[in-house]
Amino acid sequence: MKKWIGLLLLGAALVHAELPAEKTGIIRTLPAPYPPHWILAHDGAFFHMSDGKVVVLDADAETGAAQYKGMINHGFMGGFATSRARKELYVSESFYSRGQRGERTDVFTIYDQSTLAPTGEVVLPGGKRFSGLPQVHAVQVIGDDRFALSFNFNPGSSVWVVDLEKRAIATEVPIPGCALMYPTGKRGFSSLCADGAFFSVQLDENGKLKKEVRGKPALDVEADPLFEKPARHAGMGWFPTFGGQMLPVDFRGDVAKPGKPWSLLDAADREAGWRPGGWQFLDTDSTGRIYMLFHVKGEKSSHQDSGTEAWVFDPASKKRERRITLKHPAMSIMLTRDDKPLMVAVGNNETGAFVLDVYDALSGQWLRTLADFGAETPFLVFPAP
Amino acid sequence: MNWLDKLMEGSARRVAQHSSRRGVLRGLGSMLVGTAALPLLPVARASAADGAPGMPADPGDPASCDYWRYCAIDGFLCSCCGGSQNECPPGTEMSPITWIGTCLNPADGKHYIISYNDCCGKSSCGTCLCNANKIDRPIYRPDLSNDLNWCLGTKSAIYNCSTAIVVGLAIDPKK
Repeated sequence: MKKWIGLLLLGAALVHAELPAEKTGIIRTLPAPYPPHWILAHDGAFFHMSDGKVVVLDADAETGAAQYKGMINHGFMGGFATSRARKELYVSESFYSRGQRGERTDVFTIYDQSTLAPTGEVVLPGGKRFSGLPQVHAVQVIGDDRFALSFNFNPGSSVWVVDLEKRAIATEVPIPGCALMYPTGKRGFSSLCADGAFFSVQLDENGKLKKEVRGKPALDVEADPLFEKPARHAGMGWFPTFGGQMLPVDFRGDVAKPGKPWSLLDAADREAGWRPGGWQFLDTDSTGRIYMLFHVKGEKSSHQDSGTEAWVFDPASKKRERRITLKHPAMSIMLTRDDKPLMVAVGNNETGAFVLDVYDALSGQWLRTLADFGAETPFLVFPAP
Repeated sequence: MNWLDKLMEGSARRVAQHSSRRGVLRGLGSMLVGTAALPLLPVARASAADGAPGMPADPGDPASCDYWRYCAIDGFLCSCCGGSQNECPPGTEMSPITWIGTCLNPADGKHYIISYNDCCGKSSCGTCLCNANKIDRPIYRPDLSNDLNWCLGTKSAIYNCSTAIVVGLAIDPKK
């Protein structure tokens, strides 16, 4: 009997040749641009904020191993943006020399999309970089991707303009009483101010301040506050209000031009208490349709409640076209920008863990859930640049 | 359900997190108008002796999201982190700059201005995460926004937990 077993083992060894020695030191790289269904999950790391990350995921893949493509870090609730033209990723972040204490350094870090390695940095002086729950519009890229903007709050507010060619600060633009940056015109941005007005800025070819205009409030934000989180497409921005109005804003010229608000709700919706809300709870697809999270039985302070449905609006007709019932209540959504878009919703599963639910955006069908990719609090998801 | 609440659902403080905070506080907030820079607030000092008969003047559990002062809080309760509702944990530093809420004290039926001073210099406490959004506004109204890191004016901006300190009685503009 033992002989037979020995022969069998010998046979197996003969069939499977020895493995060749492998090279060490091989580091993978990624394609640039990324395929259209790759997404970037921004983990604010709420339980250890000095150690955040952005994870690159393939939302089409079925297994966790196939979904996970790589990651970059960000220090202390870092802001994030991308540039397709420059094939770069950007992080605006903060560090202390002794971890949680010591000398503070704010830095705008530039990563290569293929290697996910840092290729440059610009130190941001003054220790004033905004930190808080991650905001899409706290870091933006403008002017044909020549300049990046990073929001400051200490609690005075201003914007660092970073020259991405020269890898240097171009200027600091004070935006007193205003917050965040929405790309505007050829080389500028607008910020939303305490009274609900927009403050618009244009820069010259060197990134210096050229023109600034403070507008007038389009809505009474005391009566019905505007969310600071718009959906943006083709130079337009759509800003919902807590109560369910939608303010269109034209950012195509030098100065933000608010339009006429329209209602997202009909009488039955209002009767049931449907309201928009969550965190980054709206986005657009490549056709400009707006996908937006809504919750029922809402009230004045429910503006951060997770949505149970995503409603799809055509901003041209101002009509709701579809309603998508979500697998898990969601706080943020993101649409891929291709012609077969995925909708990715950041939700909490039955145990409270953050998960990314992936839907076919056009049919509303749930496809898969991305979880266990090493991110604890991915508040935001960004589309492939 | 709010997503930060949901995040804490699996924690040991599940019971404390999921009672009727929202129901208790719904519609009870009093809007503060005008500037909210703390030294300029139109406040009157509360009397510690105020209190409805049979009820303590400051009722509730400061280690629970339900505690009345937490109507606009967003973060980890210092009461669970080695501090209290008005004290920072050992070794941290209290931020002098903050956001405020206006919360109803069920004991006396009066609205109080609450200053949510953050405690700073150590990383996230990591327990008793609460998020109530009574009169919370987006960050273009930073004085009323709880989504900012308010560890400002401290040696380190690293956020540890949040207190809820009574500043005084709110003057209800409707009265």
